[in-house]
Amino acid sequence: MTQAKPIVLAEDNPRDAELAMAAMEEEHISDKVVLCHDGAEVLDYLYCRGQFGARLKGNPAVVFLDLKMPKVNGLEVLRTIKADANLRAIPVVMLTSSREERDLAESYTLGANAYVVKPVEFQQFLSAVKELGVFWGVINEPPPERACSHQ
Amino acid sequence: MESATNHQANPPFLRGEAGTVPSGLTPETLTPFQRLFKWFQTLTIEQRVLAGFSLVFVGILIISAISYHNTNGLLRNSGLDSRSHELIQLLGTIETAMSEAEGMHRRYLVTGERAYLEAYKRVIDQKPTLTAYLDELTQDVPDQRQRADVLHRLIERQLGVESKAIMQIQERGIQSVRTMALDGAGRRELEGIHQIINEMDVSERQAVAQRVIASAASTRHTIMLLAIGGGLQLMLLASVYYLIRHDITERRRVAGELQRRGELLEEANKELEAFSYSVSHDLRAPLRHIDGYAALLRKTVDHSLNEKAARYLQTISGAAKQMGQLIDDLLVFSRMGRQEMLQMTVNMDQLIKSILSDLRLDLHGRQISWTLASLPEVKGDPSMLRQVFMNLLTNALKFTSTRATASIEIGVEPASSDEIVLYVRDNGVGFDMQYAPKLFGVFQRLHRADEFEGTGIGLANVRRIIHRHGGRTWAEGALGKGATFYVALSREGTQR
Repeated sequence: MTQAKPIVLAEDNPRDAELAMAAMEEEHISDKVVLCHDGAEVLDYLYCRGQFGARLKGNPAVVFLDLKMPKVNGLEVLRTIKADANLRAIPVVMLTSSREERDLAESYTLGANAYVVKPVEFQQFLSAVKELGVFWGVINEPPPERACSHQ
Repeated sequence: MESATNHQANPPFLRGEAGTVPSGLTPETLTPFQRLFKWFQTLTIEQRVLAGFSLVFVGILIISAISYHNTNGLLRNSGLDSRSHELIQLLGTIETAMSEAEGMHRRYLVTGERAYLEAYKRVIDQKPTLTAYLDELTQDVPDQRQRADVLHRLIERQLGVESKAIMQIQERGIQSVRTMALDGAGRRELEGIHQIINEMDVSERQAVAQRVIASAASTRHTIMLLAIGGGLQLMLLASVYYLIRHDITERRRVAGELQRRGELLEEANKELEAFSYSVSHDLRAPLRHIDGYAALLRKTVDHSLNEKAARYLQTISGAAKQMGQLIDDLLVFSRMGRQEMLQMTVNMDQLIKSILSDLRLDLHGRQISWTLASLPEVKGDPSMLRQVFMNLLTNALKFTSTRATASIEIGVEPASSDEIVLYVRDNGVGFDMQYAPKLFGVFQRLHRADEFEGTGIGLANVRRIIHRHGGRTWAEGALGKGATFYVALSREGTQR
């Protein structure tokens, strides 16, 4: 079964974004991906404001978060999502270069649903992103729909 | 003697603080003072303080002994004094009794009235008591003893003469003693008695006077000794106090300096942590991009790619992967240096088993003869020790890969009292012993990259971890004949 819900990918690095999009394309789910270039954009999307003010209501199937991002970093976005009763149920996957223990620990403490270290090797990166996209965007059943409470 | 000891010891104490060494003096020309001072300077602070306290203790002992001796003398003198006073009193009593007896006896001779003999009889009665008392009081003083003997004789003689006169009266009547009555019967003897008693009295009073002078002098000496000794003790104690205070001040300064450096170090460590964090995050990204875009490029131009171009792309990917591995290894190396260390008992048998289970994919398709000894428990950080043996075993596997049958042995050296020595031995390509010191350095490799892959950090990590455990590492080997890597851990386990 195919979900209609979008996948939010927060990635400030255009190359990483392009590589990730290439991976999604191979699985034909790239059209579901909403690309955000920093944490603030992710929050705008989730709260249906700014450039996303006119979007269709509803939470995404999953949010892929990079840790290091301009304006609002990944951990801050994660904290905001998990502190909001309407957003808390959205699965959040940390997708980052860091395998530092404290990043791992803090992410899980804040309620991250998964933590994936981006492999240096492209083939591994490719399969990781593909699997993540398919699992969270297609296989996984997201929480019941809730209307965007702000509009 | 007491003050002499102090005088010798005190100046070095005081000069020790100034910290000046008499210069321009050869050992031959050194005075005992300077030699003592030199010796004093070789002592540690503890020994100096101990020496100071010992001197104070010895000083107190000496002062106490002398004071005790002097006080005893005073007590003895006061005992002698009271004896002298008793003797003087007794002499007075004897003199009075003898005078009275003589006087009354003379009246008897004149009057023949027997009632006058009462005093004489009283003397006769008292004589044994008085002479015994006199003997007792004079027994310790020879010249008084002699005089007492003379006194005894004179008393005997006076009483004897008087007794003879009484008998004469009784036998021949009062007329027979008329001439004797004029002068008294024992008048001469009584004069002797007066004289000898006077002599004894004077002698005793002189003795008392001498003792008074001696006691006063002794008391004065004791007071002076206490004052001087006390002063010296105070000076010594002050020196010791100064030494201790000096030492404490120094220690405080060192502690402060240590703390300051510790803070600096902590700051540097934090910076390093931030640095490696950023390395971990930022250096990986471009490598991922290089590899990623190389792969995308290959995919895009797949059909038009000639062999050379394909190899170039392969090399780009390979280099990026290798750099990624290097960064990962370096991060592990840096983390091993600053990570908090646990201290617990580690079961080495289980540790090795779990490593081999993790390595089973690498073991696949290999012909390996394992020799696993029963290993003891060691003290240390389990994950760090795991890293050590993981590195040693992957090394052993790597460098035996050219052998038809690899033989790898994990064992323990015969028990020694303070160390546990574990080793990993293989029959691999080995190494030339002249390069042994380089083995454990970061980025040190003895093989070309196309022979055996690796980043040259594994053994550096082994050494760093074992050093943090307070242990040692070394290796033995020969080219083409295998290698043995040793890890020595202290039995108690030390944390650094």
